[in-house]
Amino acid sequence: MAEVLGTFEQAVLLEVLRLRDEAYGRAILKAVQERLERELAAGAVHATLERLESKGLLSSRLGPGTDIRAGRARRFYRVQPAGVRSLNDARRTFNNIWRGIKWPVTARESL
Amino acid sequence: MKMPHSDARPPRWAEAMLRLLLKPDDRETVSGDLLEEYRETIVPARGRGANYWYFRQVAWYLLRASWQWGALMGAALVFRYLLDTLVPPSDYRMRAAVLSWTILVVCMLASFRVAWRTRSIRAGVLASTAAATIAAVVSIVGAAILLAIWHEPATLEEWRRSGGIDEALVDVPLKLIGFGITLGILGGALGKGVTSRVTLGGERVRR
Repeated sequence: MAEVLGTFEQAVLLEVLRLRDEAYGRAILKAVQERLERELAAGAVHATLERLESKGLLSSRLGPGTDIRAGRARRFYRVQPAGVRSLNDARRTFNNIWRGIKWPVTARESL
Repeated sequence: MKMPHSDARPPRWAEAMLRLLLKPDDRETVSGDLLEEYRETIVPARGRGANYWYFRQVAWYLLRASWQWGALMGAALVFRYLLDTLVPPSDYRMRAAVLSWTILVVCMLASFRVAWRTRSIRAGVLASTAAATIAAVVSIVGAAILLAIWHEPATLEEWRRSGGIDEALVDVPLKLIGFGITLGILGGALGKGVTSRVTLGGERVRR
């Protein structure tokens, strides 16, 4: 069975998918912040990337730095097949939970 | 002359602390990500406030390395105060010994774990000191709450017999921070010593 993902983990994995070859720490941080519409601690994203990599859902490689980051290397991430399976499972679960419910939920439906 | 954003730098000590708290594999990449965000987004948007943003990022890493240990020590201290308040013993030595050993072990574990991850004794000392500081704050707040709830003369007399209110509010927190530094050096040295010997197929284990 694929790894069960939390909401934040899903957000990070999906941004890595969207960013493709440009998926490195800071780009992922910015993309997740924009998607979730809130400021995040960079460490929260880095810790999640590390955890996803240790679970085998992501892989990483080092790339060259740029002047703006004082030449410091960038770590680029890629979603692994196990990560794709986990995302599909998460989406399936989400769809199952919401099946038969109209969105947005109104107070009438809770009566 | 105004410094262009591409040359702006966060305070050196904050960058040094960040690098200390990171695993060797992540020092360049993570500090590079933060520097890039600082220069491209935060400085243009917040000016002088950008340093405050950087401090908060570093504090996140420090808290991540220390809050569980600090909360554990703080909880042990408050539990001891509660026990002494509700079930005062005839002899406090046994409870004092258990609490001292708990703090000793937790401080050393905090330092060991961080030194093991970062291969740095200084990072271990930093984590252990931060954990002890968190425990000191929890201890002061916990003791104050207990005293606000139970403050009848008989209970205050028990507090005096077990060391006094000053001990709970001043001596213990100060001693804790001292323990944090001292035991942090010991745990850090152990953690770094172990990590230098752990290899997997001739390569260091990536933690």
